[in-house]
Amino acid sequence: MNAPATRDSTRHALSEARIPEDLFARMRSDNLARWPTGAGVDFEAAIERHQSLPPHKQLARVMRAADAQRRCLTQPRGGFGTFELQRELMQTLDRDGHADIVPTTTDSYTRNEHWQLAQKGIEESEKMGRSMLNGYPMVNYGIEYARRLIDAIDKPAIMLTGTTMPRLTGEIGYAAGYSGYLGSGIAYTASYIKELPIEEGIRNYQYLDRLVAMYQERGVELHRRQPGFLTGTNIPPCIAIVTCVLDCLLAAAQGVKNYGLEMGETLHLVQDAAATVVCREMCQEYLARRGHRDVFTPVTLLHWMGAWPQDDAQSAALLAYGGTLAAIAGAVSVTTKTAHEAYGIPTPQANAEGLRTTRMAIYLARHIRLDGLPEFEREKELIRREVRPIVDKVLEMGDGDAAIGTVRAFRAGVLDIPWSPNRGVQSRVLPARDGDGCLRIVDAGLMPFPKEILEFHEERLRRRAERDGIAFGPDLAVASVYEISEPIAKLLPDRWQLDARGASA
Amino acid sequence: MSGRMRTIVTGVIGSDTHIVGNRILAMALEKAGHKVVALGALTPAADFVRAAVETRADAILVSSLYGQGELDCRGFRDLCVEAGLEDILLYVGGNLVVGKRSWEETAQTYLEMGFDRVAPPGIRSEAVIEWLGRDFAARERGQRRADP
Repeated sequence: MNAPATRDSTRHALSEARIPEDLFARMRSDNLARWPTGAGVDFEAAIERHQSLPPHKQLARVMRAADAQRRCLTQPRGGFGTFELQRELMQTLDRDGHADIVPTTTDSYTRNEHWQLAQKGIEESEKMGRSMLNGYPMVNYGIEYARRLIDAIDKPAIMLTGTTMPRLTGEIGYAAGYSGYLGSGIAYTASYIKELPIEEGIRNYQYLDRLVAMYQERGVELHRRQPGFLTGTNIPPCIAIVTCVLDCLLAAAQGVKNYGLEMGETLHLVQDAAATVVCREMCQEYLARRGHRDVFTPVTLLHWMGAWPQDDAQSAALLAYGGTLAAIAGAVSVTTKTAHEAYGIPTPQANAEGLRTTRMAIYLARHIRLDGLPEFEREKELIRREVRPIVDKVLEMGDGDAAIGTVRAFRAGVLDIPWSPNRGVQSRVLPARDGDGCLRIVDAGLMPFPKEILEFHEERLRRRAERDGIAFGPDLAVASVYEISEPIAKLLPDRWQLDARGASA
Repeated sequence: MSGRMRTIVTGVIGSDTHIVGNRILAMALEKAGHKVVALGALTPAADFVRAAVETRADAILVSSLYGQGELDCRGFRDLCVEAGLEDILLYVGGNLVVGKRSWEETAQTYLEMGFDRVAPPGIRSEAVIEWLGRDFAARERGQRRADP
């Protein structure tokens, strides 16, 4: 059912090195031949297309401007199964939601390159009059329709494709005038697929990054973005940032200059602010060691990525708080959710409301900073001390090559991701929320964190385990998965049990 | 609760990678004394049925979180029947449709597809284990399943 893999003639030994021009030309012609709409990609026309877009519709420029002005942009998710529904959605997000960046989420068949199934999904959606796909089948509709989507809005557009197989979707979307693409070889392969080896995911994204570098050579800067939120389930910042740094090194090696990093919010203000600063700092530190001094690496925070409450009022609090966190943390953009998150894919109106709720919160919090706060400075230093030993070990395992090191490190469990569906990831590392509300590591698996760091995590987590009467270990991790989705009356009871003197009984 | 150890197939259907709740469910089922055949994320319908035949399973628990479950689950009961599993207990649960439709409407859609129980978003493992206990007991009394 899947489209055929890379032909042997275009298969090179895995390394982080830039794909040579002649080889890349062959890889492209093979790739574009995999589905009829691929033939519509004309690189010269694509360059012209981007040159004709006004600067405010080019995401790379908008991200740089937002960073320079210390703005926090908003960007929702959103994708429906037919062109008409998708256009209407994007216009609603642009006009009613005031989205700074307009998304196109592809459906899960497209993500897995099951284009024939996606075709059926389009037909079913048209027949039923409602979307039967969870996103827009970008490849099936092809370039002409994608261009019309871009023309229907007055903002930059980003492809959100949750896939390890971005090559054809990316070619078509970028050629049509999309100026951003979310996805990376390490993060998505570890988080979004069961059978694909990490190596293949890295190769697939090296293709996309190489394509973006080809546009760059012609003066068209496109935005690439890394999904460091991983499985979206209580990812401690250090684990996210390790993948951010490694994916960033791989992208820079192909020639990418505008590379965003995304992290899910922990929901602890200080930890999120520290993570935002240190993520960018660590990326720049390791880029500089490789001689890359001109890669722009803005950080995006994402609204809570775990399970959401059923209650719309509780969800509204998560939306507003999520905007607040992102603004104070200094994130260049925030990726929003909606009050429908617990039920599934939101209506365009609910999506627009989530954007406006978030936007108001950003406005209210926009001047607040944590610089100098001792807890903030301590947390930043802690994250640095967590990230460096892992990244250094991975690079050492690859004899300096980030691609080879990553593959070996996953095999050895040195790199590990909580709650991973991928068979090639050990997924022994287990996170949980500690007594202060920060995400920490209950069980590091085989990840080589320094001993004193793990002792600190354990001490914080044991405090919570004792307070809440939960066994320290996997139970604490499971309780942390559900916590935020619990009814508010359980999380913060309004029935006081006091004795005659007013003390807690 | 029926004492005999049961074999239960779990997994996330279709092109869906949401594995967390499914894995927690598998952990809880094992703790409750069941034998769990966990197929993980991204599992085609046919793989559930094949695994159920191979392991002589008593129930198949299908998870879907990404909205496309309606397309993935169509014909699931027929696949079971074709494989000689006419009476296998079938549950489905998660975020089962695209958009905010009423739960009654969603549940009815899946009951008509031949699922014995439809679990709403956010359901906890304990509730599923209780259903299984009552349904297995009902089976021993010759009923299709216990009352809702």
